Amino acid sequence: MSEKRIREHPVLDFQRKDGFFFDFEGKQVLAYPGETIASALYAQGLQRFTESKLLKRPRGFFCAIGKCSSCIMRVNGVPHVRTCITPAREGMKVERHGAMPEFPDTTLPCPKVKEENIEVAVIGGGPAGLSAAIVAAENGADVHLFDENTNLGGQLVKQTHQFFGRYEEHAGTRGTDIGKDLAKRAEEAGVNIHTNSTVLGYYHKNKIAVDAGNRLEIYGCEGIVYATGAVENFLAFENNDLPGIYGAGGVQTLMNEYGVIPGDRVLMVGAGNVGLIVSYQLLQAGVDVVEVVEAMPTIGGYQVHASKLRRAGVPISTGHTVKKALGNEQVEGAVLHELDENWEPVTGTERTVECDIICIAVGLKPDNHFLRLAGCKMKYVRELGGMVPLRTETLETSVEGLFVAGDSAGIEEATVAILEGELTGAAVTEKIKGGSEKLLAVKKRARAGIEEMRKGPYGQRPLEGVRACTFEGVCPE
Amino acid sequence: MTVTESARAVIIGGGVNGTGIAYHLAKRGYTDVVVLEKGYLGCGASGRNGGGIRQQFSTKENIILAMESTRMFEKLPDELDTEIEFEQGGYLVLAFTDEEVEQFKKNVKLQNDLGLKSSFISAEEAREIVPELNISKVLAGTFNSTDGTIYPFPVIYGYARAARGMGVDIREHTTVTDIVTQGRTIRAVKTDRGTIETDTVVNAAGGWSAGIARMAGVELPNRPYRHEIMVTEPFKRFLEPMVISFQHGIYFSQSRHGNVVGGIGNPHEEQGINQRSSLWFMRTMAKTLTELVPRFSAVNMIRQWAGLYDTTPDAQPILGEVPEVERFFQVNGFSGHGFMVSPVVDKVTAELILGETPSMNIDGLSVTRFKGMDLEMEYSVVG
Ligand SMILES: Cc1cc2nc3c(=O)[nH]c(=O)nc-3n(C[C@H](O)[C@H](O)[C@H](O)COP(=O)(O)OP(=O)(O)OC[C@H]3O[C@@H](n4cnc5c(N)ncnc54)[C@H](O)[C@@H]3O)c2cc1C
Ligand SMILES: Cc1cc2nc3c(=O)[nH]c(=O)nc-3n(C[C@H](O)[C@H](O)[C@H](O)COP(=O)(O)OP(=O)(O)OC[C@H]3O[C@@H](n4cnc5c(N)ncnc54)[C@H](O)[C@@H]3O)c2cc1C
Ligand code: FES
Repeated sequence: MSEKRIREHPVLDFQRKDGFFFDFEGKQVLAYPGETIASALYAQGLQRFTESKLLKRPRGFFCAIGKCSSCIMRVNGVPHVRTCITPAREGMKVERHGAMPEFPDTTLPCPKVKEENIEVAVIGGGPAGLSAAIVAAENGADVHLFDENTNLGGQLVKQTHQFFGRYEEHAGTRGTDIGKDLAKRAEEAGVNIHTNSTVLGYYHKNKIAVDAGNRLEIYGCEGIVYATGAVENFLAFENNDLPGIYGAGGVQTLMNEYGVIPGDRVLMVGAGNVGLIVSYQLLQAGVDVVEVVEAMPTIGGYQVHASKLRRAGVPISTGHTVKKALGNEQVEGAVLHELDENWEPVTGTERTVECDIICIAVGLKPDNHFLRLAGCKMKYVRELGGMVPLRTETLETSVEGLFVAGDSAGIEEATVAILEGELTGAAVTEKIKGGSEKLLAVKKRARAGIEEMRKGPYGQRPLEGVRACTFEGVCPE
Repeated sequence: MTVTESARAVIIGGGVNGTGIAYHLAKRGYTDVVVLEKGYLGCGASGRNGGGIRQQFSTKENIILAMESTRMFEKLPDELDTEIEFEQGGYLVLAFTDEEVEQFKKNVKLQNDLGLKSSFISAEEAREIVPELNISKVLAGTFNSTDGTIYPFPVIYGYARAARGMGVDIREHTTVTDIVTQGRTIRAVKTDRGTIETDTVVNAAGGWSAGIARMAGVELPNRPYRHEIMVTEPFKRFLEPMVISFQHGIYFSQSRHGNVVGGIGNPHEEQGINQRSSLWFMRTMAKTLTELVPRFSAVNMIRQWAGLYDTTPDAQPILGEVPEVERFFQVNGFSGHGFMVSPVVDKVTAELILGETPSMNIDGLSVTRFKGMDLEMEYSVVG
């Protein structure tokens, strides 16, 4: 196993002190504070995290943010632990168990249950959730924010690039810094912050259950802002389950949050902003990007990002896609082919590229199971990435008091997520505590900002999407 | 779109019974049948249940019904050319009170007399069957090895595919809004997509069946009650039987896919059509399950959901015709154990519709039994 931790980086500084060891299948594995079990294991070169149920095919991690279950292992006797969001701890015992572990032979003490009534619960500590919490707390609401990660900031935490948003406050700033700034402001505003706290479910009416490690917490809420972000889309091709095929967001998390490179030679699938940005970040981390393939006839992301890659000598092939991945235990290469205008493969265009990582950047879909559980009326809106809740202009769903913001409401970008957060933060506070001049001003400013964002060439799509799911007055059937 | 059509029979409800009856009718050449389902097939109790197939009942009628149904389930995969995941790992029924011990002894005696090879066992023997079990409060148990679990969806879809293949018209997303009668005769069934003229209607609408009956002016005593259920993460096979305790109202078994599926009844559940998930269930299920099998404390529940029990005063189904309206067949009131008896129920209902003498006498299950009669209680009810 070869060490994959990034030592030097042009933007990030990974401070690694006080290293410790945990036991992985009888071997001692080094980890540093802040690392997850999965990132520490990956840093040692582990690729096979689990296996498929029937054919026992090897499986690696995929999302790295706790949303896909590809990384489950037994930790201190407890099976099915998502190692990608579980912090590594000294002396813990970790082992792989495949898709079907033995029934655990451990018994755990019955978790304590805490029940409390609060004013506002914000679920998700990304840009949307943080912004909502800040506004609500600054306007006198008692706000609790829950995030299942150790670090706040959501997807921003890993965005080392200068922002492509146009919103006056943040354009040109690095995502990581915006995330830190928002987290600090939330703390200053008096938000009660609960990290490593997974919101498990919604119960009638506006009650949430939270897994806070060794405790089950139940909150009765007067208002809820739901902002858990998005899930990465996957792509169908032969061998697509090999270790080494990861979501672009997953690779970004591994690299920029935990300072671990995914491999040596990456094939990027998808030339939207995410694919282009992550490619560039891979180069920054010293990883070779062999090619970017894009099925569409044109590049979907901004030209600035594409140009940077081209200058660095990375070919971007539009009208191309992956036919299959090569390798048995892990990725050793990929077969690409061209697509014609009907998305049919062009015969005779197959070629092989050598790579050890295939990075999938083919879009996101809103993460909003919780809203379905709550009984929110949902609609499929392609422009917003999938199923989304119907909502009012201030993003209240069909369930009274339950608001949605950011990628969970529809896939857009961080600036819109921040603005939607502010808008819902103001609206939920207004609902609970009554209106004020100040709240009105926040709402007005946020709405103007969102409108402005959606005026640009990239705003057309979400604008159409939002129109298709926004209602006035009573929610339609 | 409103069109008027006609059919020899209209079946209301696309659950295991609606589709099963359609299948049995079609097999007998009676294919001019329309099945109406307001959601998708199996969206009612049939697609939300625990899949438990049990023959250990306390009344003669139910035992015979369940025994014959089990035999029919065993043959169903060949008949429908589909895998229904029937795992005959047995049912382990636990007794926690002296009354239960007495009742169970009687049950086993009756079951044995009727040819079912169930046995009365000690707490120790129960632990031999499920080694993870905490038997500190278990007094005794009963076990029958041919009971088991089925995955409901392939059964429903298997019936539907076979029935459709023979010409039955099964329509999803079509809601029945009224039943038109003239005197004691049915004229038509109205839906949100048009009217179907018919003189024969089957009410297989599960938790909604009392409402459907009312459309024809018939009052049924069954009422809907929510019942909740959950599934855990998957594990290598460790649990052979379905384990149940009437005392706790709990049941749980391991599916072929490794997940443990189980539910618990809320004695204070309010009547009504409510399929929301509750916190009460999540907490009570977790607590009770870990009491019975402490090692569940290291296991996560991954999903919970709810369905409707269509409950009658004596916890027995309502089958056959009603006095007020001719050719209005009831197939409802299953009170939480309707999947396991569906093979016989569906076959017999088809026979009644065809005007034949049913192959099993179900007169005792007619709705008329509630008119001033002494009710024979089915004691072996979970939840
Ligand atoms: C590679 C990449 C590059 C990008 N670059 C840009 C850019 O340059 N400019 C731009 O504007 N946008 C960019 N974006 C998009 C932007 O990051 C997102 O639109 C934005 O982060 C969405 O914010 P959010 O708050 O809705 O969700 P997220 O940032 O995803 O935050 C959601 C949070 O919810 C938490 N959570 C999820 N489920 C639960 C649960 N059950 N319980 C508790 N917590 C939970 C998560 O841990 C997470 O912290 C980029 C995205 C990617 C992937
Ligand atoms: C949680 C739970 C666990 C259970 N566990 C077991 C078990 O382990 N073993 C067992 O044998 N039984 C069990 N049961 C009971 C069993 O599921 C039911 O008895 C059985 O499925 C009833 O089937 P059905 O076809 O009669 O009704 P359903 O499956 O309820 O079908 C009725 C259908 O009618 C439709 N409908 C209603 N109104 C209309 C209308 N106006 N127009 C058109 N369609 C309409 C509904 O949408 C529904 O699909 C359980 C039930 C629940 C809820
Ligand atoms: S849940 Fe850990 S990789 Fe997706």
